[in-house]
Amino acid sequence: MSIIEVDHLTKEYRLGTLRSLKQTLLNGAAFLTGKKMPEAPLFKALDDVTFSIEQGEVVGIIGHTGAGKSTLLKMRAKISTPTRGTVKMNGRIAPLIEVGAGFVPDFTGRENVYLNGSILGLSRKEIDQKFDEIVDFSEMAEFIDTPVKRYSSGMQVKLAFAVATSIEAELLIVDEVLAVGDLAFQRKCFDRIEDMIKRQGKTVLLVSHNIRQVERLCNRTILLSRGKIVLDGPSHDVCNAFYEENDNKISNQKSIERKIQSTGEVELLEITCVNAAGKSISEVVYGEMVTVAVRLKTSKALEGPIFVIGIHTTDFVYIATITSHQEFRGRTLPTGVHEVRLCLPQLPLLPGVYSLRFSLDIGDPIKNVLYGESLSKFLVINNEIQRTSPACEGLIFLSGNQWSLDVR
Amino acid sequence: MLRIAKNLYDYRELMVTLAWKNIALRYKQAYLGIVWAILKPITLMLIFTLVRSFIGIESGNIPYPILTFAALLPWTFFQESASDGVGSVVSNATLIKKIYFPREIFPITAVLTKVVELIINFVILAGLMLWYHLMPSIYILWVPLLIGYTILAALTIAFVGAALNVYYRDMAQALPVVLSLLMYVSPVIYPLRLVKDKLLVNQTAGEWSDTLYTLYTLNPLAGIIDSFQSVVLRNQPPDLAALTPGAIAIAVLLPLSYLYFKRAESYFADVI
Repeated sequence: MSIIEVDHLTKEYRLGTLRSLKQTLLNGAAFLTGKKMPEAPLFKALDDVTFSIEQGEVVGIIGHTGAGKSTLLKMRAKISTPTRGTVKMNGRIAPLIEVGAGFVPDFTGRENVYLNGSILGLSRKEIDQKFDEIVDFSEMAEFIDTPVKRYSSGMQVKLAFAVATSIEAELLIVDEVLAVGDLAFQRKCFDRIEDMIKRQGKTVLLVSHNIRQVERLCNRTILLSRGKIVLDGPSHDVCNAFYEENDNKISNQKSIERKIQSTGEVELLEITCVNAAGKSISEVVYGEMVTVAVRLKTSKALEGPIFVIGIHTTDFVYIATITSHQEFRGRTLPTGVHEVRLCLPQLPLLPGVYSLRFSLDIGDPIKNVLYGESLSKFLVINNEIQRTSPACEGLIFLSGNQWSLDVR
Repeated sequence: MLRIAKNLYDYRELMVTLAWKNIALRYKQAYLGIVWAILKPITLMLIFTLVRSFIGIESGNIPYPILTFAALLPWTFFQESASDGVGSVVSNATLIKKIYFPREIFPITAVLTKVVELIINFVILAGLMLWYHLMPSIYILWVPLLIGYTILAALTIAFVGAALNVYYRDMAQALPVVLSLLMYVSPVIYPLRLVKDKLLVNQTAGEWSDTLYTLYTLNPLAGIIDSFQSVVLRNQPPDLAALTPGAIAIAVLLPLSYLYFKRAESYFADVI
């Protein structure tokens, strides 16, 4: 039996502001006299979406901002009503949409657990039974009788998450909540959701921008774009397709947002990847040689430069940092334009979009004169390895590995 | 009808919790706490009593202060539950956007919350009755019925008002004005008997007198307040003739109001 059946679901919003009472009356008058009023344009947040979810499935929903993910969730949680089409549901639903909705700042943690619990549909008896478990999970025992307004936002979210996940529902709707609290707590939340999925066999619907998370938790993923289902299939395939689409989108962005801090003594003219022929390139082949070229313009002589070139992902995970250490300490950069090159003989990065960062320190004691991130994006491609292959998971390829297998 | 009742029964715990939240929240950091609930009718009673000493209002054989307090008791309850009910949906916008449960819970809870304050006011009324040596009779058993009727009257305004308020915030602004006007056409400051005498006995407005009186009693509060005074203070049964027009109005309007609310409810989250 399917838990959710979504049938030709469409949701339209009227663009523009709310109509005032005066406008409504005018429109009413116009309608009565048979005149046509100019209609505000419609925006289709969801456009003829059809799918169903079976018992025990764990489904992820991904897509860019504005693709209709949250609208879809709202429809499913019965918060909003579809313009056309239907959503049919069987069983109790626990919507973890922005946990902590309805927390009252003036109430103590204990009072809020009861309040939030009954808002989410728990009976008083159920809350009584689960209270200790909730407090225990949230790690808030010490502060449970303190008003929530004195909590830090992380503490509030911990408590809210604990209440929300204590509901025994057939279907769990999770919207971005896994990105809450400190790292240790995030881990705990993740484990709890995973436990619900793997051991309790619950049906879960997960909406997230964290594609890696979706890939890991879900066995099926739906990719939405502009209100339509673009792809619906095994998580791995859909996530990879989404990655590729993202890669193209990012590397096609002409104007890169650069973040550069400089003391003014030096100006960064250009930083790019160049091929063996010295030509600037935006696509790099995995495993081949690539050179990073940086052109600088100094307005005064700089002594003892230390160059640092780093590679990071588009979401600012630093992958590698290469510094020139003492290499050029004895040299001086006179006023003028200079070029510094770094040759990477074998690029171990797996296919995807990466970006460069650069920093220049001078003098003794060392002083930073230039620092920039996200300076130039480049796409790593590989025509031999499929992006869906397990060898493509992660960021880099480690060479020189040695396996051994002892069978006893 | 049954379905609505069952639905509400299913959500009874939530309503109780939300009502408890409303009350606890209102008085949490107030030093005087729940005392504030009785301050309004008591102050008004004192003001009216003072005003009466200048203009003279016939109150029969019942002392004026307690007569007007007995009028203020259902009136304040009605007025506050109606206006809290109207604001209830908008003030819970965060919940509306995030969690689904039947939205009528909000106006209903707002009214339920006021019942608690009403009960406190009953204690004051009992104290006043002791003070003036007024003993209640068997007719006091009408009180729960009258309060139930007042709740229905307040809900009639709350449902349609709360739904309209989502689309047009003018509603919340206009309501206090309308309600304070309504107070003057309700027998709060003066007893209903005066109106009745003027219109029905003396026929002051000529041939329009009877129609005017029916119009006056079309306001459910006219019947409620008068009946409340009768059963509590005058030891008389309620004046059914004064109750009927208002009761008919509520019987017609309450379902309409509720239906409008339920129709509008599905778009609350989009508009609010």
